[in-house]
Amino acid sequence: MAVEIRKGFHQALDDVGHDIMRLAGMVTEALGKATEALLGGNLRVAEEIIANDDVLDALTLDIEERCYQLLTLQQPMARDLREVVTALRLVAEIERSGDLVANIMKAARRMYGTEFDPRLRGLIERLGEQVHRLFCMAIDAYAERDDSLAAAIDDMDDVIDDLHVQYIQAIFETHGQGATALQSSVQLAMVGRFYERIGDHAVNIGERVVYMVTGWLPEHVGAARHAVRSVEDLGPDLGADGRPPPGGG
Amino acid sequence: MEVLLVVLAAVLAAVVVRSATAQHHLHHRIDQLVRRVAATGPGPGTGGSEGSIAELERATEEVTAQLEAARSTADRMAAALAAIPQGVVLCDERGHEVFRNQAAAAYASGRHAEALVEQAIRELTSAATEGRPHSRTLELYGPPRRVLLVSAFPLHEGDHAMGALVVVDDVSERRRLEAMRRDFVANISHELKTPVGAMGLLAETIASEDDFAVTRRLAQRMTGEALRVGRVIDDLLDLSRIEAEEAPRREPVGVGTVVQEAVDRVRPLSSARHIVIDTDQVRGGHWVRADQRQLVSAVANLLENACKYSDKGSTVEVRSRADATSVEISVHDHGIGIPGRDLERVFERFYRVDRARSRETGGTGLGLAIVRHVATNHQGEVSVTSREGEGSVFRLRLPNGAGSADDEAPVPRGAGHPVATGG
Repeated sequence: MAVEIRKGFHQALDDVGHDIMRLAGMVTEALGKATEALLGGNLRVAEEIIANDDVLDALTLDIEERCYQLLTLQQPMARDLREVVTALRLVAEIERSGDLVANIMKAARRMYGTEFDPRLRGLIERLGEQVHRLFCMAIDAYAERDDSLAAAIDDMDDVIDDLHVQYIQAIFETHGQGATALQSSVQLAMVGRFYERIGDHAVNIGERVVYMVTGWLPEHVGAARHAVRSVEDLGPDLGADGRPPPGGG
Repeated sequence: MEVLLVVLAAVLAAVVVRSATAQHHLHHRIDQLVRRVAATGPGPGTGGSEGSIAELERATEEVTAQLEAARSTADRMAAALAAIPQGVVLCDERGHEVFRNQAAAAYASGRHAEALVEQAIRELTSAATEGRPHSRTLELYGPPRRVLLVSAFPLHEGDHAMGALVVVDDVSERRRLEAMRRDFVANISHELKTPVGAMGLLAETIASEDDFAVTRRLAQRMTGEALRVGRVIDDLLDLSRIEAEEAPRREPVGVGTVVQEAVDRVRPLSSARHIVIDTDQVRGGHWVRADQRQLVSAVANLLENACKYSDKGSTVEVRSRADATSVEISVHDHGIGIPGRDLERVFERFYRVDRARSRETGGTGLGLAIVRHVATNHQGEVSVTSREGEGSVFRLRLPNGAGSADDEAPVPRGAGHPVATGG
């Protein structure tokens, strides 16, 4: 009987995993199309993506609900528990990324008909491609339970941050030359921010995958530092060896 | 194609159902015989029992042979469906999957875009098992970018529902050709009708105009429009000439000569825009087997584009490199670049990235189509990589006429981003 229940649990967990892949698939597809729609001024695609955000929300709630059921009815332990908790966290990250894609499309709608400087267009294209690549990588890491791939995502995010800085600089320059109006400049800067945030969510997904596989989070380092500091504050005779407590990075 | 698939799948489904019925039949007969044997009693040497056992054996053999035949037919059908490039999924009447060919297997545990295809397959399957045929077009960003048509059909044998068939077909190429044909007709009429219409209007105005100065100005504009139509027609004729020439004259042609001639041809344009064409990285030792006139016209077209879409005072670089089988001539500009969505279409006839701009630059919209035809005629290819605001690189690859590669390490490729190939 116990085996039967466990089998049911793993089946349910697999189903959750598949639905997370669907959710992520919707976001990566929307992300790729969004950059094109933004640059091509394609209102049809923009509206489609904004409308599809409701589907994302519905699926997110459904997955969350099932995760809660798994937690309460099956009370998983160890790695099983981490899988469910990770699924819950991932769903939130993916859903938020989907919202940001919809935000990009709303900005595109507001800017409809505006011509951008080719340099800005090129940088938007680059940002879009990099973020899309990073997001796909994060999902690949989750699908393959590959913690080393997941750990590499943080480094790749630096490329996006650099591009974002260049992009903001280019907005300033083209605005200064009178090539970009103030309103569009503000919208464009926000669009850049949305892309950059999606990159950050990809990094979070990567960290959660590392946690799922190894049980370790980057925050553990900070937590360990904090623990050392609190010990030092208490007096020299406690924690005098100066070593961080076990479990720290 | 789809009709064929439906037939194939229906046969497969029928075979599967039959083998199940045959199995059922066998069980039934064995049951009957066993009951008969039991009824005649266990006594040794009773003829009735022996007869029944022989009958049982015969029946078993018969049904086994039937089953075997059904199985090999089913195997053959499955192999046929596996060989088909379309994805095929077959379900029983309760919506449970009974068969999935290789092409469709990739979607089952797919990620990113594949996960969405799987979702569509499931949704359409459940609709089709309830008897509703349905299809859905999925435009996927990928990569690779593609358009998939997912269609689901209910399967029947007489009145009896047998399940559903789902076919996943990649229609990207079909869609692309459709768009190309549609746009070609629209574009060619635009390119030819606009100047002709303008000429008609100008002529009408001249006829009712007495002021000599105005008449002269209008006549000048008419000449301009006539030249424009003339250029389009010249290019069209060029293009059909290149297309018609099945075996162009092939002789070893020096890449240096070709580039020099092409540079000379675009000099009026380049010097008007103060653009420097840098040919330092064209190697004299590179030879291609080509029709020199066609090749010069191809390179000149690339240079002309590079000059038109660059800022005044910028630089255009021409480079050449060779390996054992081919020589590559590349033209690098630092101009406005080409948007990603247009990259794969710029080699189409009359395709315009920006129609408003193309009237200013005065091109015919056929330049890159000519380049591509020259490349294809020479068993070569032309490709483009571009980034908006940074510039474009066009690469023309032709068979090596000297058969020798660069002596030194090859010249590194420019900072291009591989995006599309037209060839």
